[in-house]
Amino acid sequence: MDPFLAFIENGALSTFIRETPTVFVFPAILTLHTIGMGVLAGGGIAIDLRILGFAPKMALAPIGRFFPVLWLALVVNAISGVLLLIAYPTKALTNPLFYVKLLLIALAVVVLVRIKHRIFDDPKIERMPIERGDKRLALFSIAIWLAAIAAGRLLAYTYRWEMLGIPAIT
Amino acid sequence: MEMEPWEVWVRSTDLHFFVLRHPWMWPLCETIHYIGLSLLLGTVGLFDLRALGVAKGIAPYAIHRLIRWGIAGFILNIITGIVFFFGYPEQYAYNNAFYFKAAFMGIAGFNILAFYGTSAFRQVQTLGPNADVPGRIKLIAATSLSMWIGVLICGRLLTFFRPPFFHSG
Repeated sequence: MDPFLAFIENGALSTFIRETPTVFVFPAILTLHTIGMGVLAGGGIAIDLRILGFAPKMALAPIGRFFPVLWLALVVNAISGVLLLIAYPTKALTNPLFYVKLLLIALAVVVLVRIKHRIFDDPKIERMPIERGDKRLALFSIAIWLAAIAAGRLLAYTYRWEMLGIPAIT
Repeated sequence: MEMEPWEVWVRSTDLHFFVLRHPWMWPLCETIHYIGLSLLLGTVGLFDLRALGVAKGIAPYAIHRLIRWGIAGFILNIITGIVFFFGYPEQYAYNNAFYFKAAFMGIAGFNILAFYGTSAFRQVQTLGPNADVPGRIKLIAATSLSMWIGVLICGRLLTFFRPPFFHSG
């Protein structure tokens, strides 16, 4: 038995999130996590598509105004993600795919920040065509968001342990 | 519990057996379903937000070009949704969350008609950067945003409202 996982899993908060028999706790947290994913990954992909030239008449500079919405989704998902992790620490932390997912999200966010700095924070942006390198970055960004969504979704099918001492039934 | 004739039929289809025989089918379709919902919420959501006044420097017709990606996402989700239904029909057919999901999609559908089937769409297409969208169309955008989020909420909650009976294991 891993003492750290046991400490979290037997704690009051973990038990509360996992076992409160109402949709307003665990299912609600999971749902917020999904909405956040849709807004952050979906919004990020939409912005990437604009950079790639799919909505060419769409002004670039005002797109910066959408970023606070994406950051809000990121905060919602960081908080809901930590709560889900507290509820089932063994399930997540014994699954290698969970670390892959975290890395993909970290990478996606770094790329998103880079895109913001390189494109949307540049005052000259409307006056010149988007550079090839920036388009490559946008394409890369779409690929990581898709991979992150896939990794997150597949966590539900790849875990070996449900809780400490309780193997997955899958 | 006796199976209804429609369920007997669904469970006799090739698609039903295909889903049950190939364990990779479900995770694959779930993954595509999540990608589809992200495309829909990301593109339609940004358009709705613009209509509601966020990032007003963008002309509505220009950001509208992204909607086709949301439609593509929606089509992916209809296809994968049919796969889910044919795999485990009673999980959906006897589930309040699914009824609400369908109702929200229905309202979203009528809302789409209220946008493209009236002068609203043509009116939006004429607006330039920094233009305020008329109140009637803001209402359509707000309805769109809340209905699609409602669809997502009900979809995510489906498994928590699963009926207690399963016709097959």
